Amino acid sequence: MDIAELQAYGYFALTATLVVVLYGYIYHLYSKKKDADGHDYEDYSNMALKDDITDTPVSAVSDDKEK
Amino acid sequence: MFHWLEKHPFFFAVGVFVTIAFAGLIEILPNFAQASRPVIGTAPYSTLELAGRHVYIKNSCNACHSQLVRPFKSETDRYGHYSLSGEYAYDRPFLWGSKRTGPDLMRVGNYRTTDWHENHMKDPASVVPGSIMPAYKWMFTNNADVDTAYAEQLTVANAFSVPYNEPVPMKDGSTKIVKMGKNLAEARALALAEAKEIVADMKDQDVKDAVARGEIPEIVAIIAYMNSLK
Amino acid sequence: MENRPLEYDYTVAKMFMFTTIVLGIVGMLIGVILAFQLAFPSVNTILGEGLAEYTNFSRLRPLHTDAVIFGFTLSGIFATWYYVGQRVLKVSMAESGLLMFLGKLHFWLYLIVVAAVVVTLFMGITTSKEYAEFEWPIDIAVVVVWVLWGMGLFGLIGIRREKSLYISIWYYIATFLGIAMLYLFNNMEIPTYFASGGIGSWWHSVSMYAGTNDALVQWWYGHNAVAFGFTVPIVAMIYYFLPKESGQAIYSYKLSLLSFWGLMFVYLWAGGHHLLYSTVPDWMQTMGSIFSVILILPSWGSAINMLLTMKGEWQQVAASPLIKFMILASTFYMFSTLEGPIQAIKSVNAIAHFTDWIVGHVHDGVLGWVGFMIMASLFHMAPRVFKREIYSKSLMATQFWIQTLGVVLYFTSMWIAGITQGMMWRAHDEFGNLAYSFIDTVTVLHPYYTIRGVGGLLYLVGFLMFAYNIYKTMSARPVEESELQNASPMGA
Ligand code: HEC
Ligand code: HEM
Ligand code: HEM
Repeated sequence: MDIAELQAYGYFALTATLVVVLYGYIYHLYSKKKDADGHDYEDYSNMALKDDITDTPVSAVSDDKEK
Repeated sequence: MFHWLEKHPFFFAVGVFVTIAFAGLIEILPNFAQASRPVIGTAPYSTLELAGRHVYIKNSCNACHSQLVRPFKSETDRYGHYSLSGEYAYDRPFLWGSKRTGPDLMRVGNYRTTDWHENHMKDPASVVPGSIMPAYKWMFTNNADVDTAYAEQLTVANAFSVPYNEPVPMKDGSTKIVKMGKNLAEARALALAEAKEIVADMKDQDVKDAVARGEIPEIVAIIAYMNSLK
Repeated sequence: MENRPLEYDYTVAKMFMFTTIVLGIVGMLIGVILAFQLAFPSVNTILGEGLAEYTNFSRLRPLHTDAVIFGFTLSGIFATWYYVGQRVLKVSMAESGLLMFLGKLHFWLYLIVVAAVVVTLFMGITTSKEYAEFEWPIDIAVVVVWVLWGMGLFGLIGIRREKSLYISIWYYIATFLGIAMLYLFNNMEIPTYFASGGIGSWWHSVSMYAGTNDALVQWWYGHNAVAFGFTVPIVAMIYYFLPKESGQAIYSYKLSLLSFWGLMFVYLWAGGHHLLYSTVPDWMQTMGSIFSVILILPSWGSAINMLLTMKGEWQQVAASPLIKFMILASTFYMFSTLEGPIQAIKSVNAIAHFTDWIVGHVHDGVLGWVGFMIMASLFHMAPRVFKREIYSKSLMATQFWIQTLGVVLYFTSMWIAGITQGMMWRAHDEFGNLAYSFIDTVTVLHPYYTIRGVGGLLYLVGFLMFAYNIYKTMSARPVEESELQNASPMGA
């Protein structure tokens, strides 16, 4: 097997993997709708909309520490 | 898996990096082995030619001129044989350009002469009416940097085994030896000898006088470079 | 500190806003000069024969591209980062003396590098590689500046209160990583002075790659410098500033996440479209074409997401010039990401490559999308950073229309110029000879070059109005009391 062939296989394998991962991600996003912490993804828009330093974070870092 | 990634920004960054690095790895690395072999007839640049190449780069001629003949009839009719990868084996950096405001110069040495260049560089519009190329009058007074060209020759000869002082095969079956000086003084002498051949075909008296004094104006170097483009 | 309520600290953001504006003026002024040099070559000696060496087209062109990319655009990216970063992470730079120090150091070193670049490019010290013209000493300084930014960026992320990273932060991280990787690989060079034992100029270097390989690395870089300089960080801006200014949540946050990964994956493959019909291997060229077409999907994913964010709120577009800027920006983004893939089709590229059509494509992207979005971001930031209302809304509206006209004149004239030129180069007469000599294809472009120059001049005039408006905002109007919510306050 010469280097060009190796290159082609490498290319194919990695592309295929990434396509699977990407579609898996789409499926995950739209079936679960919520992330690991149980937040609806759409709530994250509020990170921009409510971004005063006194606003409550959508998911605070300090929540973790309390747990 | 996705739930986990969402909680780990560090691995997120790694993920981004892998995704973007992937294309480069597959696409670029393997070709390095293949693309850099010179074709028959391609010789390294002499000291003066290389100094001329530096003048070309210094003045960004590549902003308006390409050096890449694409394999179409209209281009081969206009400029000559289409470009082969191996013809660029000694081009560091490559000078393909991305805009053809002026014509391609890949093989300009085949159809333009020293005295044509001399007039054209001094005042393009007087040679080609309607030309929008700037005039490069200062090249007739500024001196070329031969020392740096020699330093570059030494560097590429050591680091990339560019064949200086060795026979390289030519298209007609003969061989050609491109000389490189053993030391700076010898390199300067070689460049000056080459410059003398060029000025013999030039008219500008100041340039002729300068070369007679042992100086090499930029115009002489860049013409040497353009004559080498074949 | 104890008794004052905590506030976001915009010191560094302000510094970079300043360079965005100054370098924007410089870069665009040079652009306008270049445009008129192509229409009227006598402009090459505008400051007299004696200075022609420094004022002619070939010296100024790299200065234009580097001033607008690494001056204007990059400053804009940094300015918005030092603003948006704090806000969406909900942490102030005032909370960390170290981050504040890094931020300021970042700015001052950046300024030194800019000065070095201007001086060396005027002197003609260049590697000739597009968008990577700097010689090795400057390259090293660039790396230091970049690392400083990275430390500030990840440092701020490290002390954040908001656990999740907002989508804009994703894009800023990608900008950081992408440019870092590309810049390093493309600038691999050997300083000849040291390699030859002290001969010649100390700043000169020679590329590690030769010929076709060099071209491959350069356009892998060049294409992605566009990706990570003109697309990724600008998308970061619009994902923050449009929702914020309009008060609308992003139409679909999930779509924004998907588009991000799609863009990351596809973009890098498309670099081959700069090298079609050259001597790089065929499969790579084909790959470049195919992926360029696929690239429409993630690009439009973001752009449509932005337009739909305004769903039901279109009256805001009519009412606010600031929202007009952003909507036009995302429209031009869609436009240039449709045009790009068309030019990447091999048979189209055969005509388009090397012509002014490419220059047209570049500028509908950079003027319509990058320029508009950066100006809109600064307009949104100004009232919050300076705690004043924007000096004049009507000036802003006038600027919008003048610049829009400028962009339209620019790209339409370059389309016609490019296609005319491409067709004339390849035309044969009935005997199979070339129909036109090269100079015919140059003189025919004169009217289009003139129109482009006028278009560019209009855009520059608009930019000066922008600079004036911001200047008056920071110096003339009364202080706003409370922290502002969505729509930016504007004077008449
Ligand atoms: C503003 C763009 C521009 C720049 C910069 C420029 N040229 Fe030109 N050049 C042209 C144009 C347009 C023509 C065609 C008209 C003519 O021959 O003058 C041309 C023609 C030429 C030709 C004649 C080629 C032929 O086949 O007839 C040569 C040789 C040349 N240029 C060399 C140079 C060199 C060397 C430099 C750098 C010092 C340079 N050019 C910089 C625009 C430019
Ligand atoms: C889907 C997205 C895009 C694709 C597929 C694409 C495709 C292309 C193609 C085919 C070229 C011409 C290469 C050549 O023949 O020389 C090009 C050049 C260029 N494009 Fe795009 N483009 C896209 C988006 C953009 C955007 C959004 C911008 C900027 C805001 C941009 C900036 C540029 C620049 C600066 C060049 C010129 C490079 C040079 O020659 O110096 N592109 N692009
Ligand atoms: C006032 C507005 C501007 C004018 C009049 C202008 C004019 C020009 C001109 C005349 C060229 C050279 C084209 C050629 O070689 O034929 C050019 C190239 C370029 N400009 Fe501008 N410019 C302007 C603004 C900008 C801005 C704001 C940006 C980026 C943010 C930009 C990015 C570029 C790039 C990347 C190139 C290189 C294109 C290529 O190699 O194909 N320009 N511009």
